[in-house]
Amino acid sequence: MERREVSFRIYRYNPQVDRHPFYDNFKVAVEKGITILRVLNHIKEHLEPRLTFRAFCQAGICGSCAVRVNGISRLACTTQVWDVLTGSGDDPILVEPLNNLEVIRDLLVDVDPLMEKLKQNSSWVAPAIPEQQMGCKEHIVSETELEVIDSATDCILCGSCYSECSMMGVNRRYISPPVLLKAFRMNNDTRDTIGAERLQQVTADHGLWDCTHCYRCVEHCTKKIAIMEGIHRLREEALERRMTKSEGARHAQAFFDDIHDSGRLKEVTLPLRTKGVAGSLGMIPLAMKMGLKGRTPPLFMKKIPDIKHVRELYRKLEIRAVVKRHAVRQTERLQ
Amino acid sequence: MKYAYFLSCINESMTRELDRSLEILEKDLGIELVKLTRGTCCGGSNLDYVSPDHFLVINGRNIALAEQMKLDLVTSCNTCLLTLRRARQILDSSPEKREFVNNTLRDEGLCYSGSSDVKHLLWVITEDYGLGRLAGLVTTPLTGMRFAPFYGCHILRPSNLLGKDNPATPMSLDHLVETLGGIPVEYASKNKCCGFHTLLVAEKESLALSGNAIEDAIRAEADYIVTPCPLCHTAMDAYQPMTLKGRAVSRTIPVLHLSQLIGLALGHSREELGIDRHMIT
Repeated sequence: MERREVSFRIYRYNPQVDRHPFYDNFKVAVEKGITILRVLNHIKEHLEPRLTFRAFCQAGICGSCAVRVNGISRLACTTQVWDVLTGSGDDPILVEPLNNLEVIRDLLVDVDPLMEKLKQNSSWVAPAIPEQQMGCKEHIVSETELEVIDSATDCILCGSCYSECSMMGVNRRYISPPVLLKAFRMNNDTRDTIGAERLQQVTADHGLWDCTHCYRCVEHCTKKIAIMEGIHRLREEALERRMTKSEGARHAQAFFDDIHDSGRLKEVTLPLRTKGVAGSLGMIPLAMKMGLKGRTPPLFMKKIPDIKHVRELYRKLEIRAVVKRHAVRQTERLQ
Repeated sequence: MKYAYFLSCINESMTRELDRSLEILEKDLGIELVKLTRGTCCGGSNLDYVSPDHFLVINGRNIALAEQMKLDLVTSCNTCLLTLRRARQILDSSPEKREFVNNTLRDEGLCYSGSSDVKHLLWVITEDYGLGRLAGLVTTPLTGMRFAPFYGCHILRPSNLLGKDNPATPMSLDHLVETLGGIPVEYASKNKCCGFHTLLVAEKESLALSGNAIEDAIRAEADYIVTPCPLCHTAMDAYQPMTLKGRAVSRTIPVLHLSQLIGLALGHSREELGIDRHMIT
């Protein structure tokens, strides 16, 4: 069995005692295949009993042991030491707590803000079956219906995406990727009945439209869930439900309209159409400075040569949408 | 070497110098970029919220136009890259959606078959053209100049759609800087988000994101930031005075487009490359 001595540099902080966080270095003889969690357990048992971290299932199921290894959020129990060695293998492996959550002690973070956001955004199924009839009547979910949310149900709330999220890094009040993913999962569960209400909750300030689509959540999801697809679907649903007053919704609508009108985005009026007159006033100084440098977008965008074809596509798609809406209404009536 | 070149809306308006400097490079490198003038805006990752069908048809059409020319499609905007590649992945993996798109495009004589790849200009330069070949063209090496490479999100993530650089430790732009004689600066923000996409929706937070990256580059003693994305450029150049307000930094930092970086090393002047059009010069 391949075996080597590996250095670990571990974040330490007890806010009740320490003035500042610091790092402790440990050298541990490790066999190939050993995980970061096994190393943390070894350090706690043999080298530093005060080292504090959270862990339970040791199998990538409970989601409690997420930490940052060499700066990237991941599960300690599924991350093998051999896979995160850098340099010629002699660089210390850096183990730190998740970002965007307060440290309780060492690698242990307070997940209450995440739990609170889940509560505020009704992150559960509100079924049509009355409470007293629960367990008496079955609500069948077909395989096709499950497929839509199947991957999203894999979320173990490990907090890795919460830690990696760009927007969370600059606004702790932001709704966060796991809460948006849960909203997508619940709103597309055929047993649920409060989709419209939940969507009102998630589109409030610091909500759905504040996602920068940086895809860090997707890249670092420990369960490989396409979180952004869920966020996209929620935004589509907001527009389907005619929740078009928010800045994010107006911004999206502008792209749709401009492609029809000229084929190109009319950037000159984009702030006005997104933020309204009052909201755009603050941008005047910037626009003037950009004007002096010749960077102001043109007042009129030249139409692309084949705009008639694009408009024809829009016409065809509109007919298709009308037919689709009619079919949905017919099915609802029959039901 | 010949490609269809996707016209990004921002390069037709606020960052016109990007395409102008690229036109100069075409001659130097012997690369022909045929402008996709019949193409439309990709929808900037917004169109599909309004209508996923429009998103697929519009971008299926954009790629089909390149297919008609029998050329791969190149873009110099990260978000156009991701949007086009997302559409491409959906169309390649679903025969039903491909049929729907092709039925809609038929009257215009267009058909999406998946034969044209969608690439970023950075990939064309570093992979198709090759850094070795480019090194031979350098007349004014960027010796002693320190560059902070800022990759931007949509050329890195999601890696299953893009997959050229490792999103955690991207290196292609660093290698390009080295090839041109410059010094790539190591700093924590090189794979972070510039906040562009929420500038009109969550301005304070977006400015904080670009401000963090700019401050990081200044602290790493970079002379320039260089980015392959005109959206990142706008967030970091046009908005820089706003992002740095209240921050303890002693100076501003100019931001270069990829095409301008190469142009400088190939002996072109700042005027030719439109560097003086930037807000921070």
